[in-house]
Amino acid sequence: MAETFLHIEGLRKSYGGLEALKGVSLTLEKGDFLCLFGPNGAGKSTLLKILATLLTPSAGTVRAAGFDLEEHPEAFRAQLGLVSHQSFLYDDLSARENLEFYAALYGVADSRARAGELLERVELAHRAHSPVREFSRGMQQRLTIARALVNDPSLLLLDEPYTGLDEHAAGRLSRQLHLLHEAQRTIVMVTHNLRQGLELATTVGILAQGKLVFLKQRDQIAPEAFEQLYIDHLEAA
Amino acid sequence: MNLGQQIMLLYRKDLRVEVRKKESLIAMAFFGALIMVILNLAAGRSGRIEAEQLAGILWVAILFSSVLGLGRVFAREKENGCVAALLVSPLSPEALFTAKALVNFTLMCCSELVLVPVFLALFGGRLEPDPLALTVLLGLVNLGFSAAGTLLSALAAGTRRNEVLLPILLYPLCLPLVILAVKATGAVFGGSALFEILDQLEPMAAFGLIYAVAGYLLFAHAVREV
Amino acid sequence: MLKRYDPFALLALFALPAAAAMVFFYAPLEETMGLVQKIFYFHLGLAAAAFLSFFVACIAGVFYLVRRQRVWDERGAAAIEVGVLFTTLVLLTGSIWGRPIWNTWWTWDPRLTTSLILWFIFTACLILRGAVEQEAKRAVFSAVMAIAGFIDVPVVFLSARLWRSIHPTVIRSEGIALEPAMLATLAACVAAMLILWAALFRLRCGMQRQENTLLDLQQQLSR
Repeated sequence: MAETFLHIEGLRKSYGGLEALKGVSLTLEKGDFLCLFGPNGAGKSTLLKILATLLTPSAGTVRAAGFDLEEHPEAFRAQLGLVSHQSFLYDDLSARENLEFYAALYGVADSRARAGELLERVELAHRAHSPVREFSRGMQQRLTIARALVNDPSLLLLDEPYTGLDEHAAGRLSRQLHLLHEAQRTIVMVTHNLRQGLELATTVGILAQGKLVFLKQRDQIAPEAFEQLYIDHLEAA
Repeated sequence: MNLGQQIMLLYRKDLRVEVRKKESLIAMAFFGALIMVILNLAAGRSGRIEAEQLAGILWVAILFSSVLGLGRVFAREKENGCVAALLVSPLSPEALFTAKALVNFTLMCCSELVLVPVFLALFGGRLEPDPLALTVLLGLVNLGFSAAGTLLSALAAGTRRNEVLLPILLYPLCLPLVILAVKATGAVFGGSALFEILDQLEPMAAFGLIYAVAGYLLFAHAVREV
Repeated sequence: MLKRYDPFALLALFALPAAAAMVFFYAPLEETMGLVQKIFYFHLGLAAAAFLSFFVACIAGVFYLVRRQRVWDERGAAAIEVGVLFTTLVLLTGSIWGRPIWNTWWTWDPRLTTSLILWFIFTACLILRGAVEQEAKRAVFSAVMAIAGFIDVPVVFLSARLWRSIHPTVIRSEGIALEPAMLATLAACVAAMLILWAALFRLRCGMQRQENTLLDLQQQLSR
């Protein structure tokens, strides 16, 4: 029985009169890959931002690998990797410089070595010295993933990473994510890409209007049934 | 990584970008020189300009051109969402503030290395400023302006009207600094030494200290999402 | 619940005419400046209230950042608005006072200079508020700016005093010998202005609260 890695209990977030999250609870085991779908405005980004410690929840608890989000935010953050549709990269620095900067920031002992390693892993070693502004969207995305792995995170959060990627780049991303999943990292991904998401996930969920309306292991539901359920929720919104 | 190391890491990263692109420095120096020329023309051909009026021209040029650099330093972090990445990292917001303020201070010093000689060439025929007094004076103003400016640039960058808003927020706050700087610089242009302008330097140092502390404490609120 | 009559508003209804009466019928006529000098009583009262307003804005800002309760943002916003209003009146009354005496619409008197700078700082606060749409963010930014603005005040005072020495033709209000009757009138005016401030502040707080409630309802309905 794998241990509980991520535990979310009664998470709420309100902005004045608006409740973006209305009590979300879920549990993930180490090595799980949760794909979260849902209509726009459902609160998916809000949930992810709270997990990334970028937003403080109005109520509820979050624990990952034994650390409580509110009590030990630094320890919680130390094991986080974040990927978004924004690149988090400095356009005027080279790929290598970007990675070395973030590696040094996270206190990695040999930041040069780590940067080299990561560049190899995402197949960008040949462009190590080019400024990021010259990269294509697909290359940027690969570098963004490399950046997120700089601190060897055990929890990886991805916010709509397939945005703007063509088929080829999307396939590459999926392969990367699959490798990360096999390396026993716990992954939470928010996406609209049904096909890729269902392929990668071990757990699937639907967030609608701030509530988790569906959460099941991937093998407990047929893809077509899930697709229908998802479309129903999209239309209801 | 301790606080000092974090600050230096961020500072070096920003300097590297500045040196590579030079966009801020060039804009600041160019715009500053342009303002001096415009003010010279606007003053008409009345002949003698008083020391204090000359001081005013210098400070208008420096402060108006500095805002260009100030705005960019923080806006650059927001461009690709890097602020979020920094907040998620072990970096503390206080380190971010200190690093950015140091970058702004450096940019101002560098642009003044260009602007002050240009100023003296255009206007400084009769002036004999004491170099030590002038340097200390410039340093103190840069300190206060950078500290307040860094804090306010985070506020401005959080709105959609960044470039317009920063001057609107910063200049009123720095008006006392302007008053003191003009008075002190006028005195220095008239030949005063360092110990003679201490009366103006002390409040300027106080201003710098107040906003360095305030910025350090309040910056986290300005950059975090709510 | 809407209160029909705010106690401070009622008090102001009596205090202001009473103070005005004192100014025009009780306070003696000043020798050198004549009737125009009487504006000084209101001018100083307005300045006291304006300063108080910005102080309240700063404190409200601190409380908001620490507690994150909406009510502190409402108070901060009200304090800034009323403060700008009162400061505008300080500048206007100062100008009206100066014109017949020194034949100029503006003098760089330390108090007027300070008021002018404060006017710019806190109007900038209002402009900042207008530039942020999201409520929580607006509240945080407004709080930071109000605090940053208020801590400037000591240096503003100092530098304005320094500026005065450049402009020797200045209103030396401290030089006016204040007889007991004048002092009493001054005290009455300051008190009346503070009561007026309190009334306007409370009114504005209430209006902010209603606005927020309305926006909440709108948001809930649009979902």
